[in-house]
Amino acid sequence: MKRAPVLWGAGAILAVFAWLLFGGLQENVVFFLTPQELLAKGADGVGVPVRLGGQVKPGSVVWDAETLDLRFTVTDGAQEMPVRSTGAPPQMFRDGMGVIVEGRVGGGGVFQASELMVKHSNEYRAPKPGEEAHEKYKTLIKQSTP
Amino acid sequence: MNWGRATVAVLTAVPVIALFAFGFTRDPGEIPSPLPGNPAPDFSLAVFAPGEGTLSRSVGDSIRLRDLAGKVVVVNFWASWCVACRDEHVALSETAREYADRPTQFIGVLYNDRQNLGLRWIEGMGGQSYPSVTDRGSLTAIDFGLYGVPETFIVDPAGRIAYKHLGPISARVLRSKIDSLLPAAMPTGMTPRDSAP
Amino acid sequence: MIGLLAHNALLVSVATVALGAILTPIAIRTGRREWLQLVYGAVYTNFLLVSIATGLMIVALVTHDFSVSYVAAVGSRATPLLFTVISLWGALEGSILFWAWVLALYAAAVVWFHHGRAGNLVPYATMVLLATAAFFAVLLVGPADPFRPVFPVPLDGPGPNTLLQNHVLMAVHPPLLYLGYVGMTVPFAFAFGAIVSGEAQSNDWSYLSRRWMLASWGFLSAAIIAGMWWSYEVLGWGGYWAWDPVENASFLPWLTATAYLHSVMVQERRNMIRLWTLNLCISTFVLTILGTFLTRSGILSSVHAFTTGTIGYYFLALIAIVLVLALVLVAGNSEHLRSRGNLGGAASRETVFLLNNLFLTAVTLTVLVGTLYPLIAEAVRGVKVSVGEPFFNRMTIPAMVALVFLMGVGPSLPWGSTSWPEARKRLLPPLVAAVLLAAAGVLAGARSVYAILAFACVGYAAMANVREFWTGTRARHRAHGEVWPTALARLVGGNRRRYGGYVAHIGILFVALGVTASSTFRSEREATLRPGETLTVAGHTVRLKNVWGREEPQRSVIGATMDVLGNDGAVIASVEPRMNYYHVSDQPVPTPDVRSSIKGDLYINLQAFDANGAHATVKVIVEPLVPWIWFGGFVMVLGAGIGMFHGGRRSAEARAIAGGALPAAPDVARMGVGVGVGVGVGVDA
Repeated sequence: MKRAPVLWGAGAILAVFAWLLFGGLQENVVFFLTPQELLAKGADGVGVPVRLGGQVKPGSVVWDAETLDLRFTVTDGAQEMPVRSTGAPPQMFRDGMGVIVEGRVGGGGVFQASELMVKHSNEYRAPKPGEEAHEKYKTLIKQSTP
Repeated sequence: MNWGRATVAVLTAVPVIALFAFGFTRDPGEIPSPLPGNPAPDFSLAVFAPGEGTLSRSVGDSIRLRDLAGKVVVVNFWASWCVACRDEHVALSETAREYADRPTQFIGVLYNDRQNLGLRWIEGMGGQSYPSVTDRGSLTAIDFGLYGVPETFIVDPAGRIAYKHLGPISARVLRSKIDSLLPAAMPTGMTPRDSAP
Repeated sequence: MIGLLAHNALLVSVATVALGAILTPIAIRTGRREWLQLVYGAVYTNFLLVSIATGLMIVALVTHDFSVSYVAAVGSRATPLLFTVISLWGALEGSILFWAWVLALYAAAVVWFHHGRAGNLVPYATMVLLATAAFFAVLLVGPADPFRPVFPVPLDGPGPNTLLQNHVLMAVHPPLLYLGYVGMTVPFAFAFGAIVSGEAQSNDWSYLSRRWMLASWGFLSAAIIAGMWWSYEVLGWGGYWAWDPVENASFLPWLTATAYLHSVMVQERRNMIRLWTLNLCISTFVLTILGTFLTRSGILSSVHAFTTGTIGYYFLALIAIVLVLALVLVAGNSEHLRSRGNLGGAASRETVFLLNNLFLTAVTLTVLVGTLYPLIAEAVRGVKVSVGEPFFNRMTIPAMVALVFLMGVGPSLPWGSTSWPEARKRLLPPLVAAVLLAAAGVLAGARSVYAILAFACVGYAAMANVREFWTGTRARHRAHGEVWPTALARLVGGNRRRYGGYVAHIGILFVALGVTASSTFRSEREATLRPGETLTVAGHTVRLKNVWGREEPQRSVIGATMDVLGNDGAVIASVEPRMNYYHVSDQPVPTPDVRSSIKGDLYINLQAFDANGAHATVKVIVEPLVPWIWFGGFVMVLGAGIGMFHGGRRSAEARAIAGGALPAAPDVARMGVGVGVGVGVGVDA
């Protein structure tokens, strides 16, 4: 087998492939931003998919169980961003916890979340007294235990 | 054994291993935060209130943060509608005068306000010794991660945010922070305070 | 006491494997081959020592000996026995211990089956296995020591990670994964041995290594499918694959192993791409270590990340050593490793295999770059980014659809060369099935080009592979007058490797069909229901009956009992999606209820509930053909099992095993049993 044409062919395939690959990355990479960084992008930050990271601002969570409309505010200590999402909040969702929401800034500067990720901690954290499930849901457990 | 080829091959592995080694310096779960210690975001803003005496800059000039490298820069965000800003106004103006002959620069940034209201406020407060600039679209405020006004950032000669103060700032805090950032102390008996009027 | 005993066993193990690894080259260089018996003895001793340590760990876990650090970290008196035992691999240190045990097992098996073989290949391969074992043994007495003493001894522990004690699949997925991952060390060891002993130009090493690769491939396939199943059953999102770094870490070596299993056939048949095959073998091992490194060092964010420690540095050192060693050996010897064969015609099976390798490599590189890109972006540009499903789907789906198509083309073409009319005659008929399945997909509502193409290619490949069984069986039936089942059994038995491969193809086609259908026709709705209210999704109606709570020793369970209604409104089934609150964690674990049928799944997850039981928020997902994915996984493993038994190259085998200490058949049979056990476990789950 002649080596040179084979090498040229392989090189060409590799180049096209690398071009496709990094082109795909450029278009599909989702930036990870804090509310502050997102706001700093101004109009450039509107409508593009991003991952917004921060804490759930205490007292900001409003959930309507009927319409499944979930609203809360993500803050990084400097800036905050109102977030709107549809669906039930994850069970462990609570004030002050770290969240990452994927979505985009829509009209009116509200972040429309398509995905809500609660940062799982690797370490165990036992529930605080009064936060234990058997305390919180004791009416439910008592009702159903004969 | 072809050692030349082997060496070339091994060299290609170096960036890969370096990349992983770099990974150890990162915490992927960390959320970046504009806390002190980070480089201050650069800005170039137009002066609308000139300031007084040697500290003054002509209206319409732009002040660029990067040009002030080597100086301790005090960036104070304020607004005419802000009540707490009145409390710190005298402290800022006087401290700026005290440090006039040291490598320092005070800048007021008008936040979410109109220039003429800002000028009228300065007049009503008995003047401002240092220049103030306008921040169209609050872009600089966003860069700095402004929480609310008043808020004061002290940038060290290397351009890093050394200190961030929420709420009205006092002359004592300003002096201690600026002194700790200035390159060398002045000879005794020549404290900057002496030059205050 | 247990801790001290086990720790000492591991200390002796470090010394044993290190000495064994050092002794090997000395024995070979000085010509004292009798010393190799000591090396092999070290392998068996190591297996014994690590087995003792692992056994002691299980004893410590079961007896709740909280003076052992690992038990104190993952044990709990309230955890059921099964989950107590499987917490052996539920956390970092235990999983390293289990890894070391599996590696010791493989090393012992390699020596057991191949010690009588002449030449230096097996001794050098043994050396590599011992050196790798030494790495894990060092981890176990140092940074990942699971037997550190704890004082004062706690009375109880927190129990295993709640996500891992919520489903029985956790008893299956990790062992299969380790059997697959660790098994890939063996082909690497043979590749290394082949280069060092100068036997790389013969096909003997690939006869030895490819069977171990096939076994590992079968285990890894089963592990990946079991992991998808676990994610589907436990995480409550109704999906099974998210391109998470941990998932990618298991997928990457699977891709290169698949490429290897194809390229090695080209190497044997046509004496081509020898260097390439060697590289695939080495890459597969490097990718297993890389995957372990990425998931254990915490340098990439993942939902499944382990706790991190200094162990990442050790893995980085291992990667560096393996990478440098492999590159030096391959690049330095590349002149001797080059193959001399030539491509036959353009329309030949080897062409298809080369294309298969091209696409598999492209997918591997894409997944690798996508997984590492967040790290690259931060190092080069200083920005934090994440690479999500859109990138992986967009970049890999075309290649995967092409691979499915090639799966139909390959078996249809002969080796060497063929005339175009002949090729046309073989390639055209399966198009019927392609058109039919694509039309079915369109009728069912598929509109995406790739989904329709995927259906078409699955249909094409399915018919092409099934045709191989059909034509072969028919030929036997006609020629020998055998009854159909006998004809089929003899056909497969006559060339197990080939027909095992086709069975594996058919398994992959089931998976491909399930994945395409469930992602194309998925419909879901979420709603808050009061008792008596109903929710209808894609023709399936569920009605909330009541919300209840229950106390269990290790957890509180909140559940919603729901009726599944038939078309006439009658109750046809009852489902109970639950939320499990383990006492040790403030994060509940969802437990969806999945009703499976051949047509697909009705997936119901409890999302939220009222503390007084007044209402519950549920998500109902209808996913067609999902069970086909799990079934396809079973068929893939079956194919690997059939391929393991092959005897088609017995003459070559006999030559390979010069000295004749071990005939070829028994070892094959024994290894086949191993796979069979893996399958059995997978099915029971």
